[in-house]
Amino acid sequence: MKQVHSAGLRSSRASRRVGAMAATALALASIFPVASASAQAGASNLKPAATHKLVIAYNMGAEADPFFIAMYIGAKAEANKLGVTLVWQGDPSVYSPSTQIPIAEELLAEHPDGFVISPTDPKALQPVVNQAIAEGIPVANVDTHVQDLSKVLTFITGNNQQGGAVAADAMAKAMHYAPGHTYEVTVGMSSPTTTTNTARLAGFKAEIAKKYPGIKIVSEAYSESQPAVANTNVNNWLTKYPNLKGIFAIDGTNAAGAAAAIQAHGLVGKVALVGYDAYANNVQLLKQGVFAALIAQQPALEGQLEIQYMVKFLRTHSRAGIPHELTLPNIVLTPHSPAAVLAKYTYPTA
Amino acid sequence: MLLVALGALVAYFAARAPVFLSSQELANILADFCSLILLGVGETFVIASGGIDLSVGSATSFSGVIGAFAMKALLDGHQNEAVVLAVGVAVCAGVGLGIGLVNAALINWARLVPFVATLAMLGAAAGMAIVLSNGEPVGLDPRAISYTTAKLGPFSYPSLVVIAVVAVAWLTLHFTRYGRYTFAIGSNEFAARAAGINVRRHVVSVYALSGVLAGLTGMFVYMRLGSGAPTAGLNDELQAIAAVVIGGASLYGGVARMSGTVLGTLIINTVTSGLIISNIQANWDQVAVALLIGLAATMQALRPGRRR
Amino acid sequence: MAGQAVLYEAVNVSKSYGSVEALIDVNVQLHAGEVLGLVGDNGAGKSTLVKVLSGVHPPDSGKLFLEGRERRWSSPHDALAEGIETLYQDTGLAPHLTIGANVFLGRELLRPGLLGRLGFMAQREMERAALHELAQVGVEVKGSRKTVSDLSGGQRQAVAIGRAVAWARKVLLLDEPTNHLGARQALEVLNVIRAARDRGLGVIFISHTLPHVLQICDRIVVLRLGRVVRDASTSEFDAESLLGTITGLLEKSP
Repeated sequence: MKQVHSAGLRSSRASRRVGAMAATALALASIFPVASASAQAGASNLKPAATHKLVIAYNMGAEADPFFIAMYIGAKAEANKLGVTLVWQGDPSVYSPSTQIPIAEELLAEHPDGFVISPTDPKALQPVVNQAIAEGIPVANVDTHVQDLSKVLTFITGNNQQGGAVAADAMAKAMHYAPGHTYEVTVGMSSPTTTTNTARLAGFKAEIAKKYPGIKIVSEAYSESQPAVANTNVNNWLTKYPNLKGIFAIDGTNAAGAAAAIQAHGLVGKVALVGYDAYANNVQLLKQGVFAALIAQQPALEGQLEIQYMVKFLRTHSRAGIPHELTLPNIVLTPHSPAAVLAKYTYPTA
Repeated sequence: MLLVALGALVAYFAARAPVFLSSQELANILADFCSLILLGVGETFVIASGGIDLSVGSATSFSGVIGAFAMKALLDGHQNEAVVLAVGVAVCAGVGLGIGLVNAALINWARLVPFVATLAMLGAAAGMAIVLSNGEPVGLDPRAISYTTAKLGPFSYPSLVVIAVVAVAWLTLHFTRYGRYTFAIGSNEFAARAAGINVRRHVVSVYALSGVLAGLTGMFVYMRLGSGAPTAGLNDELQAIAAVVIGGASLYGGVARMSGTVLGTLIINTVTSGLIISNIQANWDQVAVALLIGLAATMQALRPGRRR
Repeated sequence: MAGQAVLYEAVNVSKSYGSVEALIDVNVQLHAGEVLGLVGDNGAGKSTLVKVLSGVHPPDSGKLFLEGRERRWSSPHDALAEGIETLYQDTGLAPHLTIGANVFLGRELLRPGLLGRLGFMAQREMERAALHELAQVGVEVKGSRKTVSDLSGGQRQAVAIGRAVAWARKVLLLDEPTNHLGARQALEVLNVIRAARDRGLGVIFISHTLPHVLQICDRIVVLRLGRVVRDASTSEFDAESLLGTITGLLEKSP
């Protein structure tokens, strides 16, 4: 199960480094005019229950992460539609239990009607979840989950293994895979410990083993969350493997670094670059053919469903129609995808 | 000595993968070199003056993001490409300068030790880069990428600019009064002050220089990626400091060589690329650099008569 | 020396570091062509007085007069520009720089023309001139490309003294110049100081080595716990009475 999401700033190294001076960053960020979810979230407050408007507290990993920003937009729209108050709060940029726990406790102290959380650590956040349930506040998990899911209302996440598998299919198609030929491909990852990366790679490899015996993964390299390092890795691959046919850029930083390298070497359309995450920039590059395919998660849908299910339970006090665990498939986007589809899956920004 | 080490590394990787000696690979290493060397150059001045600047990596990220916002606005307004790049350079350098001046103010007037002052800046700039960009690369500028491809042999035009800056920095550190004052302050701050040197002003200029060079690095990486990435310079301060130390500098100040920094940077770049080219597990990269630092530090300690 | 005009003067100078009163209402007059001894036990305030006189520390109160004009030094740079040169106890040289670089520190010779305007130094000339200047004041060092950290304690002291004497135009402040020196070297230094005095410089000589003080000084000021307790011609002291005044065991003047 995934614990750390793909985007650069949630990879373990990045968050540790940034986390070292979180206080300073917070202080400075707060005096800076920032048009982001954090500014909006800061403005919202828990409404008194006197109005009988339901209040749902939503505690995500890191507010500035594009993945969570997209999730916020989906959740917010659903909350407005259903007439409930959404309190969206998390650390601005640090993905870590040490920053998440105090924020979660603070949210619970205001006694919301429902509590949605994406725990940054399955064990460390378990006590907070237990406490909420003991106080009669229903808890839902999103993206990641606590160790004991038995009392959690619902857990919605994306399927990274399946995402890796469809990435292999998309790459094979872009390379015009034919049996009997050999195709050298490489994989750019963020770090060897990022669990979403390893899940995607496992799915990718399994699909190749099953369907594409001609595809050889000749090298795997790490970007350490740095797009410039990813760029260097791809440059070196292109030198070492002049016949390179495909690159699986498994996260945002690798996508950015690989896209630049492919363009710099004039290999757009010649090397099948399959990237992850439908950031606006990536979708733009997809339309230009730099990416042969993009694998998109569905953060906005995750946020929307979380609110929908939570409100349903609060209003009906019944679990009927609420899945205990829901895994949303990752979506393949290609340059040929209809504009409406691309627009639908592009991660919205605040 | 460093040349021998570099030669040995190149020979080793070339033996494992002959393609390592190709002009294309030289261009790869050069692009990497240019993404790191200016941070090393700034760090050389700072370390020679007895300080340290931990903020250069996040200054790279932050200035690249801010510069990218500015260039995006101009590109959206269909501005002339030359104007866009000129404004990008100016904005990145300006943001870097601002970061350097804040560092200097924290050190000179808030009386923080450089380690703490620039560590605070590291966190602040990295955090702001992420918050302002929403964690996504800013801008989409394929024309910028096209400028970073090799045009003259393995050299791209921006790489020639970077090399020129390194040459000027080398002359400045070792042959001008400015460089002399830098070493004097790092060697014995009191002696420098007693000799009539305006130590505070000089310290301001050294951190400002380091900041500006980080800003220019932000611009170079922007051109490489065609966008301003919020993690563009993540951890690069450690690489830069490693290059300076491998180059023979003393973290106590007063001793540094620009040629050493250049070779130290090349060694790090060679290891990084060489490991990929020869398909060695990439995790060894960090281990290899750590070993090099340990070796350099040991040689430093064993060198006679260089201690304070 | 009584007949000569006062060259450099501290009037009612006080200086504290936090709660420690290092100097209390100190008055000192230095004449041109005079060696003034400044003696006192550790913590008496000698080095602090030197740092006030050389512009390192501004006094908390009191005034400084150079050639009759009141001066306020905002940094050592100001005092240096007025011809006041200082040898600080143990800390005046940059160990990683060459001898030449140290002698010319803050006064670098630049190359002629455009290069000079860009700040390029005439390094070889400085190294050569440094050796020459040191030799002029009686300090012989071989190989100017050596860094100061390569030198022995005595050689370093010689370079530091040589630098101060070579550049001084009016006042020479010497804090423990005979430290780290052997007997023969110390005598040479005393000769260098005499020569400086004979050039018309006013010299303040600080030392714990009382025979040197009695040997070279024209007048002696004794500091104790930040105050001037005695200011008299050297002829009024002998080794025993000087020691007694410093320690406070001999309260009454002879």
